[in-house]
Amino acid sequence: MNLACKEIRRNILRASRASGHGHIPTTFSVIEMLCAVYETMKFDPARPDWPERDLFVLSKGHAALGFYSVLAHYGFFKPEELLTYGAFQSRLGCHPDRLKVPGVELSTGSLGHGVAVAVGMALALRIQNSPRRVFTLIGDGESNEGMVWEAVMVAANLRLANLAILYDNNGSQRRSLPIPNPTERFKAFGCDTLEVDGHDLAALKAALTKPAATVKVVVGNAIKGCGCPTLAANMFEWHRKSPNPEQFEQFMKELEAA
Amino acid sequence: MRKQFKDTVVELADRDERIVVVLGDISHFLFIPFQEKHPTRCYNMGICENALVSIAAGLCSQGFHPFVHTIAPFITERSLEQIKLDLCYNRFGANIVSTGASFDYAWDGATHHCYTDMAILRLLPRMEVLQPGSKTELDTLIRSQYNSGNPTYFRLSDFGHPHDVPVKFGKGNILKNSGAKVTVMTAGPILGNVMEACADLPVNLVYFSTIKPIDKEIIERFRHTQILVVHDAFGLLEAIHEVPDLRVSCLGLPDQFCVWYGTVHDIRKMISLDPGSIRNWLQKKLAATENHC
Repeated sequence: MNLACKEIRRNILRASRASGHGHIPTTFSVIEMLCAVYETMKFDPARPDWPERDLFVLSKGHAALGFYSVLAHYGFFKPEELLTYGAFQSRLGCHPDRLKVPGVELSTGSLGHGVAVAVGMALALRIQNSPRRVFTLIGDGESNEGMVWEAVMVAANLRLANLAILYDNNGSQRRSLPIPNPTERFKAFGCDTLEVDGHDLAALKAALTKPAATVKVVVGNAIKGCGCPTLAANMFEWHRKSPNPEQFEQFMKELEAA
Repeated sequence: MRKQFKDTVVELADRDERIVVVLGDISHFLFIPFQEKHPTRCYNMGICENALVSIAAGLCSQGFHPFVHTIAPFITERSLEQIKLDLCYNRFGANIVSTGASFDYAWDGATHHCYTDMAILRLLPRMEVLQPGSKTELDTLIRSQYNSGNPTYFRLSDFGHPHDVPVKFGKGNILKNSGAKVTVMTAGPILGNVMEACADLPVNLVYFSTIKPIDKEIIERFRHTQILVVHDAFGLLEAIHEVPDLRVSCLGLPDQFCVWYGTVHDIRKMISLDPGSIRNWLQKKLAATENHC
Protein backbone atom coordinates (compact mmCIF):
# COMPACT_ATOMS: atom_id res chain seq x y z
CA MET A 1 0.00 0.00 0.00
CA ASN A 2 1.19 3.51 -0.82
CA LEU A 3 2.76 4.96 2.32
CA ALA A 4 0.84 8.23 2.16
CA CYS A 5 -2.44 6.36 1.75
CA LYS A 6 -1.51 4.19 4.70
CA GLU A 7 -0.81 7.20 6.90
CA ILE A 8 -4.09 8.80 5.83
CA ARG A 9 -5.86 5.63 6.94
CA ARG A 10 -4.02 5.71 10.28
CA ASN A 11 -5.28 9.25 10.81
CA ILE A 12 -8.80 8.08 10.08
CA LEU A 13 -8.51 5.36 12.71
CA ARG A 14 -7.10 7.84 15.24
CA ALA A 15 -9.92 10.32 14.60
CA SER A 16 -12.58 7.64 14.75
CA ARG A 17 -11.14 6.26 17.99
CA ALA A 18 -10.93 9.74 19.54
CA SER A 19 -14.35 10.92 18.43
CA GLY A 20 -16.49 7.83 18.77
CA HIS A 21 -17.73 8.31 15.21
CA GLY A 22 -17.34 5.84 12.40
CA HIS A 23 -17.80 5.36 8.67
CA ILE A 24 -14.30 3.84 8.57
CA PRO A 25 -14.90 1.17 5.89
CA THR A 26 -16.36 3.61 3.37
CA THR A 27 -13.45 6.00 3.86
CA PHE A 28 -10.90 3.20 3.45
CA SER A 29 -12.63 2.41 0.17
CA VAL A 30 -11.94 5.83 -1.37
CA ILE A 31 -8.51 7.00 -0.16
CA GLU A 32 -6.64 6.19 -3.36
CA MET A 33 -9.44 7.72 -5.45
CA LEU A 34 -9.31 10.93 -3.41
CA CYS A 35 -5.52 11.07 -3.61
CA ALA A 36 -5.64 10.48 -7.37
CA VAL A 37 -7.98 13.47 -7.68
CA TYR A 38 -5.74 15.73 -5.59
CA GLU A 39 -2.66 14.63 -7.54
CA THR A 40 -4.46 15.47 -10.77
CA MET A 41 -6.34 18.68 -10.00
CA LYS A 42 -5.03 22.22 -9.60
CA PHE A 43 -5.31 23.56 -6.07
CA ASP A 44 -3.49 25.68 -3.54
CA PRO A 45 -4.06 24.76 0.12
CA ALA A 46 -2.87 28.23 1.16
CA ARG A 47 -5.61 29.74 -1.02
CA PRO A 48 -8.61 27.42 -0.95
CA ASP A 49 -10.60 29.98 -2.95
CA TRP A 50 -7.90 30.42 -5.61
CA PRO A 51 -9.93 31.43 -8.69
CA GLU A 52 -8.01 29.09 -11.02
CA ARG A 53 -8.42 25.98 -8.90
CA ASP A 54 -10.16 22.85 -10.09
CA LEU A 55 -13.19 21.76 -8.08
CA PHE A 56 -13.85 18.57 -6.17
CA VAL A 57 -17.22 17.56 -4.72
CA LEU A 58 -17.54 14.64 -2.33
CA SER A 59 -21.00 13.50 -3.32
CA LYS A 60 -20.97 10.57 -0.88
CA GLY A 61 -20.71 12.97 2.02
CA HIS A 62 -20.57 10.26 4.70
CA ALA A 63 -16.96 9.62 3.63
CA ALA A 64 -16.14 13.01 5.16
CA LEU A 65 -13.51 11.68 7.53
CA GLY A 66 -11.58 10.23 4.59
CA PHE A 67 -11.97 13.53 2.76
CA TYR A 68 -10.73 15.52 5.74
CA SER A 69 -7.75 13.21 6.18
CA VAL A 70 -6.83 13.70 2.54
CA LEU A 71 -7.28 17.48 2.80
CA ALA A 72 -5.02 17.48 5.85
CA HIS A 73 -2.46 15.38 3.97
CA TYR A 74 -2.41 17.93 1.14
CA GLY A 75 -2.00 20.84 3.54
CA PHE A 76 -5.44 22.42 3.92
CA PHE A 77 -5.21 22.12 7.71
CA LYS A 78 -3.16 20.25 10.29
CA PRO A 79 -3.81 16.54 10.83
CA GLU A 80 -4.23 17.16 14.57
CA GLU A 81 -7.55 18.86 13.84
CA LEU A 82 -8.91 15.51 12.64
CA LEU A 83 -9.19 14.47 16.29
CA THR A 84 -12.01 17.02 16.71
CA TYR A 85 -14.12 15.11 14.16
CA GLY A 86 -17.81 15.36 15.02
CA ALA A 87 -17.30 17.44 18.18
CA PHE A 88 -19.77 20.20 19.02
CA GLN A 89 -17.67 23.18 17.95
CA SER A 90 -15.42 21.42 15.46
CA ARG A 91 -15.23 22.51 11.83
CA LEU A 92 -15.17 18.84 10.91
CA GLY A 93 -18.68 17.43 11.07
CA CYS A 94 -19.54 13.90 10.07
CA HIS A 95 -20.63 15.38 6.76
CA PRO A 96 -18.64 18.23 5.16
CA ASP A 97 -19.66 21.88 5.37
CA ARG A 98 -18.34 24.16 2.65
CA LEU A 99 -18.74 27.21 4.85
CA LYS A 100 -16.47 25.76 7.54
CA VAL A 101 -13.83 23.53 6.02
CA PRO A 102 -11.14 24.89 3.67
CA GLY A 103 -11.09 22.85 0.47
CA VAL A 104 -14.74 21.77 0.68
CA GLU A 105 -16.69 23.13 -2.29
CA LEU A 106 -20.12 21.77 -1.37
CA SER A 107 -21.89 20.75 1.82
CA THR A 108 -23.10 17.22 1.19
CA GLY A 109 -24.68 14.40 3.12
CA SER A 110 -27.99 13.67 1.45
CA LEU A 111 -27.05 11.21 -1.26
CA GLY A 112 -27.31 12.05 -4.93
CA HIS A 113 -27.02 15.82 -4.65
CA GLY A 114 -23.30 16.35 -5.09
CA VAL A 115 -23.00 14.86 -8.54
CA ALA A 116 -25.84 17.08 -9.82
CA VAL A 117 -24.27 20.20 -8.32
CA ALA A 118 -20.97 19.15 -9.90
CA VAL A 119 -22.74 19.04 -13.27
CA GLY A 120 -23.82 22.64 -12.69
CA MET A 121 -20.27 23.62 -11.76
CA ALA A 122 -18.89 22.01 -14.90
CA LEU A 123 -21.50 23.75 -17.04
CA ALA A 124 -20.66 27.07 -15.41
CA LEU A 125 -16.97 26.64 -16.18
CA ARG A 126 -17.73 25.73 -19.76
CA ILE A 127 -19.90 28.82 -20.20
CA GLN A 128 -16.94 30.83 -18.92
CA ASN A 129 -14.59 29.09 -21.38
CA SER A 130 -12.51 28.14 -18.38
CA PRO A 131 -9.90 25.37 -18.53
CA ARG A 132 -10.77 24.41 -14.95
CA ARG A 133 -12.10 20.91 -14.31
CA VAL A 134 -14.64 19.41 -11.91
CA PHE A 135 -14.21 16.09 -10.13
CA THR A 136 -16.80 14.31 -8.05
CA LEU A 137 -16.86 11.04 -6.14
CA ILE A 138 -20.08 9.06 -5.87
CA GLY A 139 -20.83 5.79 -4.13
CA ASP A 140 -22.47 2.70 -5.53
CA GLY A 141 -25.00 2.82 -2.70
CA GLU A 142 -25.58 6.49 -3.46
CA SER A 143 -26.30 5.47 -7.02
CA ASN A 144 -29.53 3.85 -5.89
CA GLU A 145 -30.74 7.46 -5.90
CA GLY A 146 -32.55 8.49 -9.07
CA MET A 147 -30.99 11.94 -9.14
CA VAL A 148 -27.55 10.45 -9.81
CA TRP A 149 -28.83 9.18 -13.12
CA GLU A 150 -30.70 12.40 -13.90
CA ALA A 151 -27.44 14.26 -13.44
CA VAL A 152 -25.46 11.77 -15.52
CA MET A 153 -28.02 12.03 -18.33
CA VAL A 154 -27.76 15.82 -18.36
CA ALA A 155 -23.94 15.75 -18.23
CA ALA A 156 -23.78 13.29 -21.11
CA ASN A 157 -26.34 15.22 -23.13
CA LEU A 158 -24.31 18.41 -22.65
CA ARG A 159 -21.08 16.49 -23.33
CA LEU A 160 -19.38 18.01 -20.29
CA ALA A 161 -15.81 16.91 -20.99
CA ASN A 162 -14.57 19.00 -18.08
CA LEU A 163 -16.36 16.73 -15.59
CA ALA A 164 -14.95 13.50 -14.18
CA ILE A 165 -17.09 11.24 -11.99
CA LEU A 166 -15.38 8.65 -9.83
CA TYR A 167 -17.63 5.74 -8.93
CA ASP A 168 -16.71 3.90 -5.75
CA ASN A 169 -17.65 0.36 -6.74
CA ASN A 170 -17.28 -1.35 -3.37
CA GLY A 171 -20.39 -3.51 -3.36
CA SER A 172 -21.94 -1.73 -0.43
CA GLN A 173 -25.46 -2.36 -1.69
CA ARG A 174 -25.15 -6.07 -2.30
CA ARG A 175 -27.66 -6.72 0.50
CA SER A 176 -30.34 -4.38 -0.88
CA LEU A 177 -30.17 -2.89 -4.38
CA PRO A 178 -26.88 -3.84 -6.05
CA ILE A 179 -25.70 -2.27 -9.30
CA PRO A 180 -23.92 -5.24 -10.86
CA ASN A 181 -22.68 -3.71 -14.11
CA PRO A 182 -21.87 -0.03 -13.52
CA THR A 183 -19.39 0.28 -16.38
CA GLU A 184 -21.94 -0.89 -18.93
CA ARG A 185 -24.58 1.35 -17.40
CA PHE A 186 -22.46 4.50 -17.54
CA LYS A 187 -21.45 3.66 -21.11
CA ALA A 188 -25.10 3.19 -21.99
CA PHE A 189 -25.81 6.62 -20.55
CA GLY A 190 -23.26 8.07 -22.98
CA CYS A 191 -20.29 8.56 -20.65
CA ASP A 192 -16.66 7.97 -21.53
CA THR A 193 -16.21 5.17 -19.01
CA LEU A 194 -13.07 3.50 -17.72
CA GLU A 195 -12.84 0.71 -15.16
CA VAL A 196 -9.75 0.46 -12.97
CA ASP A 197 -8.56 -0.93 -9.65
CA GLY A 198 -9.88 1.60 -7.14
CA HIS A 199 -6.79 1.18 -4.98
CA ASP A 200 -4.22 1.57 -7.79
CA LEU A 201 -3.14 5.18 -7.52
CA ALA A 202 -1.22 5.18 -10.80
CA ALA A 203 -4.08 3.62 -12.73
CA LEU A 204 -6.57 6.08 -11.24
CA LYS A 205 -4.36 9.06 -12.11
CA ALA A 206 -3.90 7.76 -15.65
CA ALA A 207 -7.67 7.37 -16.02
CA LEU A 208 -8.31 10.89 -14.71
CA THR A 209 -5.75 12.50 -17.01
CA LYS A 210 -6.78 10.64 -20.15
CA PRO A 211 -8.49 13.07 -22.54
CA ALA A 212 -12.22 12.58 -23.01
CA ALA A 213 -14.72 13.97 -25.48
CA THR A 214 -17.58 13.95 -23.00
CA VAL A 215 -18.22 13.40 -19.32
CA LYS A 216 -15.77 10.87 -17.96
CA VAL A 217 -16.66 8.16 -15.48
CA VAL A 218 -13.94 6.21 -13.71
CA VAL A 219 -15.36 3.10 -12.11
CA GLY A 220 -12.98 2.26 -9.28
CA ASN A 221 -13.35 -1.33 -8.12
CA ALA A 222 -12.73 -0.98 -4.41
CA ILE A 223 -12.85 -2.82 -1.13
CA LYS A 224 -14.88 -1.29 1.65
CA GLY A 225 -12.44 -1.33 4.55
CA CYS A 226 -9.37 -1.79 2.32
CA GLY A 227 -6.24 -2.13 4.47
CA CYS A 228 -7.92 -3.83 7.41
CA PRO A 229 -9.16 -7.36 6.67
CA THR A 230 -11.43 -7.31 9.71
CA LEU A 231 -13.23 -4.22 8.43
CA ALA A 232 -13.42 -5.57 4.91
CA ALA A 233 -14.91 -8.85 6.13
CA ASN A 234 -17.46 -7.08 8.33
CA MET A 235 -18.26 -3.91 6.43
CA PHE A 236 -21.92 -3.76 7.36
CA GLU A 237 -21.23 -4.20 11.07
CA TRP A 238 -18.54 -1.50 10.95
CA HIS A 239 -20.42 0.98 8.79
CA ARG A 240 -20.79 3.54 11.59
CA LYS A 241 -18.84 2.02 14.46
CA SER A 242 -15.84 3.47 16.27
CA PRO A 243 -13.14 1.06 17.53
CA ASN A 244 -12.49 0.46 21.22
CA PRO A 245 -8.81 0.50 22.35
CA GLU A 246 -8.25 -3.18 21.56
CA GLN A 247 -9.92 -2.96 18.19
CA PHE A 248 -7.96 0.18 17.41
CA GLU A 249 -4.65 -1.61 18.08
CA GLN A 250 -5.78 -4.55 15.99
CA PHE A 251 -6.71 -2.31 13.04
CA MET A 252 -3.42 -0.43 13.28
CA LYS A 253 -1.54 -3.74 13.11
CA GLU A 254 -3.61 -4.93 10.18
CA LEU A 255 -2.94 -1.65 8.43
CA GLU A 256 0.79 -1.93 9.09
CA ALA A 257 0.81 -5.27 7.36
CA ALA A 258 -1.12 -4.02 4.35
CA MET B 1 -47.04 36.12 -16.65
CA ARG B 2 -44.79 33.65 -18.49
CA LYS B 3 -44.30 36.03 -21.39
CA GLN B 4 -43.48 38.81 -18.96
CA PHE B 5 -40.98 36.52 -17.25
CA LYS B 6 -39.32 35.90 -20.59
CA ASP B 7 -39.37 39.59 -21.56
CA THR B 8 -37.87 40.71 -18.25
CA VAL B 9 -35.18 38.04 -18.22
CA VAL B 10 -34.24 38.69 -21.85
CA GLU B 11 -33.79 42.36 -21.12
CA LEU B 12 -31.79 41.72 -17.97
CA ALA B 13 -29.64 39.10 -19.68
CA ASP B 14 -28.56 41.61 -22.31
CA ARG B 15 -26.71 43.52 -19.64
CA ASP B 16 -25.96 40.82 -17.10
CA GLU B 17 -23.84 37.99 -18.45
CA ARG B 18 -24.35 36.03 -15.28
CA ILE B 19 -27.98 35.19 -16.09
CA VAL B 20 -28.58 31.60 -17.21
CA VAL B 21 -31.98 30.05 -17.94
CA VAL B 22 -32.60 26.38 -17.14
CA LEU B 23 -35.89 24.99 -18.44
CA GLY B 24 -37.55 21.76 -17.37
CA ASP B 25 -39.03 21.24 -20.83
CA ILE B 26 -41.56 24.01 -20.34
CA SER B 27 -41.74 27.38 -22.13
CA HIS B 28 -39.37 25.94 -24.74
CA PHE B 29 -40.71 27.91 -27.69
CA LEU B 30 -41.02 31.06 -25.61
CA PHE B 31 -37.29 31.05 -24.94
CA ILE B 32 -36.09 30.18 -28.45
CA PRO B 33 -35.20 33.84 -29.19
CA PHE B 34 -33.23 33.96 -25.92
CA GLN B 35 -31.46 30.74 -26.83
CA GLU B 36 -30.59 32.07 -30.27
CA LYS B 37 -29.23 35.27 -28.78
CA HIS B 38 -27.39 33.66 -25.86
CA PRO B 39 -26.78 30.03 -26.89
CA THR B 40 -24.52 29.30 -23.94
CA ARG B 41 -26.96 30.73 -21.40
CA CYS B 42 -30.23 28.91 -22.09
CA TYR B 43 -30.73 25.18 -21.61
CA ASN B 44 -33.82 23.06 -21.92
CA MET B 45 -32.36 20.32 -19.74
CA GLY B 46 -35.31 17.96 -19.63
CA ILE B 47 -37.87 16.67 -17.19
CA CYS B 48 -35.65 16.14 -14.15
CA GLU B 49 -36.60 18.80 -11.63
CA ASN B 50 -34.41 17.58 -8.79
CA ALA B 51 -31.30 17.66 -10.93
CA LEU B 52 -32.26 21.05 -12.35
CA VAL B 53 -32.29 22.66 -8.91
CA SER B 54 -28.96 21.12 -7.95
CA ILE B 55 -27.41 22.04 -11.28
CA ALA B 56 -28.57 25.59 -10.67
CA ALA B 57 -26.73 25.47 -7.34
CA GLY B 58 -23.58 24.50 -9.23
CA LEU B 59 -24.08 27.42 -11.60
CA CYS B 60 -24.50 29.76 -8.63
CA SER B 61 -21.30 28.45 -7.07
CA GLN B 62 -19.38 29.91 -10.01
CA GLY B 63 -21.10 33.30 -9.92
CA PHE B 64 -24.11 32.83 -12.19
CA HIS B 65 -27.71 33.86 -11.48
CA PRO B 66 -29.73 30.95 -12.85
CA PHE B 67 -33.48 30.93 -13.39
CA VAL B 68 -34.88 27.42 -13.11
CA HIS B 69 -38.31 27.26 -14.68
CA THR B 70 -40.92 24.54 -14.79
CA ILE B 71 -44.31 23.45 -13.42
CA ALA B 72 -45.04 24.46 -9.82
CA PRO B 73 -45.69 21.19 -7.95
CA PHE B 74 -42.76 19.42 -9.56
CA ILE B 75 -40.14 22.10 -8.92
CA THR B 76 -41.28 22.78 -5.35
CA GLU B 77 -42.94 19.78 -3.71
CA ARG B 78 -40.86 17.17 -5.54
CA SER B 79 -37.61 19.11 -5.29
CA LEU B 80 -37.96 20.41 -1.74
CA GLU B 81 -34.78 18.75 -0.50
CA GLN B 82 -32.70 20.10 -3.38
CA ILE B 83 -33.98 23.60 -2.63
CA LYS B 84 -33.43 23.14 1.09
CA LEU B 85 -29.91 21.73 0.93
CA ASP B 86 -28.28 22.76 -2.34
CA LEU B 87 -29.67 26.29 -2.39
CA CYS B 88 -30.58 27.32 1.15
CA TYR B 89 -28.09 25.34 3.26
CA ASN B 90 -25.25 25.84 0.81
CA ARG B 91 -26.16 29.52 0.37
CA PHE B 92 -26.53 29.50 -3.39
CA GLY B 93 -29.06 32.06 -4.54
CA ALA B 94 -30.76 30.55 -7.58
CA ASN B 95 -34.14 31.76 -8.82
CA ILE B 96 -36.97 29.26 -9.06
CA VAL B 97 -39.77 30.34 -11.36
CA SER B 98 -42.85 28.17 -11.42
CA THR B 99 -45.90 28.13 -13.62
CA GLY B 100 -49.26 26.59 -12.77
CA ALA B 101 -50.04 28.29 -9.47
CA SER B 102 -52.77 26.82 -7.25
CA PHE B 103 -55.49 25.68 -9.69
CA ASP B 104 -54.24 27.30 -12.90
CA TYR B 105 -54.08 23.79 -14.41
CA ALA B 106 -57.52 22.91 -13.09
CA TRP B 107 -58.29 20.72 -16.08
CA ASP B 108 -55.25 18.54 -15.42
CA GLY B 109 -56.49 17.42 -12.04
CA ALA B 110 -54.91 17.19 -8.61
CA THR B 111 -51.51 15.99 -9.84
CA HIS B 112 -50.99 19.43 -11.35
CA HIS B 113 -52.55 21.57 -8.63
CA CYS B 114 -50.08 23.35 -6.37
CA TYR B 115 -51.07 25.15 -3.18
CA THR B 116 -48.52 24.04 -0.55
CA ASP B 117 -45.46 25.47 -2.32
CA MET B 118 -45.31 28.83 -0.55
CA ALA B 119 -46.18 27.37 2.85
CA ILE B 120 -43.35 24.85 2.56
CA LEU B 121 -40.72 27.10 1.01
CA ARG B 122 -41.25 29.90 3.53
CA LEU B 123 -40.00 27.52 6.22
CA LEU B 124 -36.55 27.29 4.64
CA PRO B 125 -33.84 29.60 6.01
CA ARG B 126 -32.75 32.34 3.55
CA MET B 127 -35.59 31.57 1.13
CA GLU B 128 -37.48 34.45 -0.45
CA VAL B 129 -41.06 33.60 -1.46
CA LEU B 130 -42.80 35.88 -3.92
CA GLN B 131 -46.33 35.71 -5.27
CA PRO B 132 -46.73 38.42 -7.88
CA GLY B 133 -50.33 39.05 -8.80
CA SER B 134 -49.77 40.67 -12.17
CA LYS B 135 -47.22 41.04 -14.95
CA THR B 136 -46.12 44.42 -13.66
CA GLU B 137 -45.57 43.05 -10.19
CA LEU B 138 -43.56 40.16 -11.62
CA ASP B 139 -41.36 42.50 -13.61
CA THR B 140 -40.69 44.67 -10.56
CA LEU B 141 -39.91 41.74 -8.29
CA ILE B 142 -37.61 39.95 -10.74
CA ARG B 143 -35.57 43.08 -11.30
CA SER B 144 -35.37 43.65 -7.57
CA GLN B 145 -34.47 40.13 -6.43
CA TYR B 146 -32.90 37.98 -9.15
CA ASN B 147 -29.41 38.68 -7.86
CA SER B 148 -30.24 39.06 -4.17
CA GLY B 149 -27.83 36.32 -3.13
CA ASN B 150 -30.68 34.35 -1.57
CA PRO B 151 -32.73 31.61 -3.20
CA THR B 152 -35.87 33.26 -4.54
CA TYR B 153 -39.16 31.66 -5.51
CA PHE B 154 -41.25 33.45 -8.12
CA ARG B 155 -44.72 31.94 -8.37
CA LEU B 156 -46.17 32.73 -11.78
CA SER B 157 -49.85 32.51 -12.65
CA ASP B 158 -51.67 32.62 -15.96
CA PHE B 159 -54.60 34.35 -14.28
CA GLY B 160 -53.26 37.55 -12.79
CA HIS B 161 -55.45 40.28 -11.33
CA PRO B 162 -56.17 43.45 -13.36
CA HIS B 163 -55.19 46.01 -10.73
CA ASP B 164 -52.19 48.28 -10.71
CA VAL B 165 -50.40 47.80 -7.41
CA PRO B 166 -46.97 49.42 -6.94
CA VAL B 167 -45.28 46.53 -5.15
CA LYS B 168 -41.91 46.43 -3.50
CA PHE B 169 -40.03 43.40 -2.23
CA GLY B 170 -40.82 42.66 1.40
CA LYS B 171 -43.53 45.29 1.60
CA GLY B 172 -47.29 44.93 1.73
CA ASN B 173 -49.65 47.45 0.13
CA ILE B 174 -52.55 49.14 1.88
CA LEU B 175 -55.15 49.25 -0.86
CA LYS B 176 -57.89 50.62 1.36
CA ASN B 177 -57.75 52.06 4.87
CA SER B 178 -61.08 53.46 5.99
CA GLY B 179 -60.41 53.01 9.68
CA ALA B 180 -62.68 49.99 9.65
CA LYS B 181 -62.78 47.43 12.43
CA VAL B 182 -62.12 44.64 9.94
CA THR B 183 -59.06 44.24 7.68
CA VAL B 184 -58.98 41.87 4.75
CA MET B 185 -55.53 40.54 3.89
CA THR B 186 -54.77 38.72 0.66
CA ALA B 187 -51.97 37.99 -1.78
CA GLY B 188 -51.34 37.32 -5.45
CA PRO B 189 -53.82 36.85 -8.30
CA ILE B 190 -56.86 36.20 -6.06
CA LEU B 191 -56.80 39.94 -5.36
CA GLY B 192 -59.12 40.38 -8.35
CA ASN B 193 -61.85 38.33 -6.68
CA VAL B 194 -61.22 39.92 -3.30
CA MET B 195 -61.45 43.46 -4.65
CA GLU B 196 -64.72 42.63 -6.34
CA ALA B 197 -66.05 40.94 -3.21
CA CYS B 198 -65.35 43.78 -0.80
CA ALA B 199 -65.84 46.75 -3.11
CA ASP B 200 -68.37 48.61 -0.96
CA LEU B 201 -67.91 46.75 2.31
CA PRO B 202 -66.61 48.60 5.39
CA VAL B 203 -63.22 46.89 5.49
CA ASN B 204 -59.59 47.83 5.16
CA LEU B 205 -57.66 45.93 2.51
CA VAL B 206 -54.00 44.92 2.66
CA TYR B 207 -52.23 43.14 -0.18
CA PHE B 208 -49.00 41.14 -0.18
CA SER B 209 -46.82 40.13 -3.11
CA THR B 210 -44.04 38.94 -0.81
CA ILE B 211 -44.91 36.00 1.43
CA LYS B 212 -41.41 35.78 2.88
CA PRO B 213 -40.17 37.98 4.35
CA ILE B 214 -43.67 39.02 5.34
CA ASP B 215 -44.20 42.71 6.07
CA LYS B 216 -44.76 42.51 9.82
CA GLU B 217 -44.84 46.27 10.17
CA ILE B 218 -47.92 46.62 8.00
CA ILE B 219 -49.64 43.79 9.87
CA GLU B 220 -48.87 45.49 13.19
CA ARG B 221 -50.67 48.61 11.95
CA PHE B 222 -53.89 46.64 11.77
CA ARG B 223 -53.47 44.43 14.83
CA HIS B 224 -56.32 46.23 16.63
CA THR B 225 -58.74 45.11 13.90
CA GLN B 226 -60.28 41.74 13.10
CA ILE B 227 -58.08 40.30 10.33
CA LEU B 228 -59.77 38.24 7.62
CA VAL B 229 -57.33 36.35 5.39
CA VAL B 230 -58.52 35.33 1.94
CA HIS B 231 -56.08 33.23 -0.06
CA ASP B 232 -56.13 30.42 -2.61
CA ALA B 233 -53.00 28.71 -1.26
CA PHE B 234 -51.31 27.93 2.02
CA GLY B 235 -48.58 30.23 3.25
CA LEU B 236 -50.06 33.69 3.69
CA LEU B 237 -52.04 32.82 6.82
CA GLU B 238 -48.98 31.17 8.37
CA ALA B 239 -46.83 34.16 7.47
CA ILE B 240 -49.29 36.62 9.00
CA HIS B 241 -49.17 34.59 12.21
CA GLU B 242 -45.48 35.52 12.54
CA VAL B 243 -47.01 38.54 14.26
CA PRO B 244 -48.31 37.14 17.55
CA ASP B 245 -51.66 37.62 19.25
CA LEU B 246 -53.75 38.71 16.29
CA ARG B 247 -57.47 38.11 15.83
CA VAL B 248 -57.49 36.20 12.56
CA SER B 249 -60.02 34.22 10.55
CA CYS B 250 -59.25 32.67 7.20
CA LEU B 251 -61.15 31.79 4.06
CA GLY B 252 -58.79 29.39 2.39
CA LEU B 253 -58.58 25.87 1.10
CA PRO B 254 -60.47 22.77 2.23
CA ASP B 255 -58.62 19.78 3.70
CA GLN B 256 -59.24 17.69 0.64
CA PHE B 257 -57.97 17.29 -2.92
CA CYS B 258 -59.87 19.32 -5.48
CA VAL B 259 -60.96 16.49 -7.71
CA TRP B 260 -62.81 18.54 -10.30
CA TYR B 261 -61.53 19.79 -13.66
CA GLY B 262 -62.72 22.75 -15.70
CA THR B 263 -60.98 26.08 -15.13
CA VAL B 264 -59.43 27.88 -12.20
CA HIS B 265 -62.66 29.86 -11.98
CA ASP B 266 -64.69 26.66 -11.66
CA ILE B 267 -62.47 25.40 -8.85
CA ARG B 268 -62.52 28.73 -7.06
CA LYS B 269 -66.32 28.73 -7.17
CA MET B 270 -66.44 25.14 -5.90
CA ILE B 271 -64.31 26.00 -2.88
CA SER B 272 -66.01 29.34 -2.18
CA LEU B 273 -63.24 31.60 -3.46
CA ASP B 274 -65.28 33.24 -6.23
CA PRO B 275 -66.27 36.90 -5.65
CA GLY B 276 -69.81 36.08 -4.52
CA SER B 277 -68.75 33.45 -2.00
CA ILE B 278 -65.97 35.64 -0.65
CA ARG B 279 -68.45 38.48 -0.24
CA ASN B 280 -70.94 36.26 1.61
CA TRP B 281 -68.21 35.09 3.97
CA LEU B 282 -67.01 38.63 4.58
CA GLN B 283 -70.55 39.85 5.27
CA LYS B 284 -71.08 37.10 7.82
CA LYS B 285 -67.80 37.98 9.49
CA LEU B 286 -68.71 41.67 9.49
CA ALA B 287 -72.09 40.90 11.08
CA ALA B 288 -70.45 38.75 13.71
CA THR B 289 -67.96 41.50 14.45
CA GLU B 290 -70.76 44.05 14.84
CA ASN B 291 -72.71 41.72 17.14
CA HIS B 292 -69.60 41.05 19.17
CA CYS B 293 -69.01 44.76 19.60
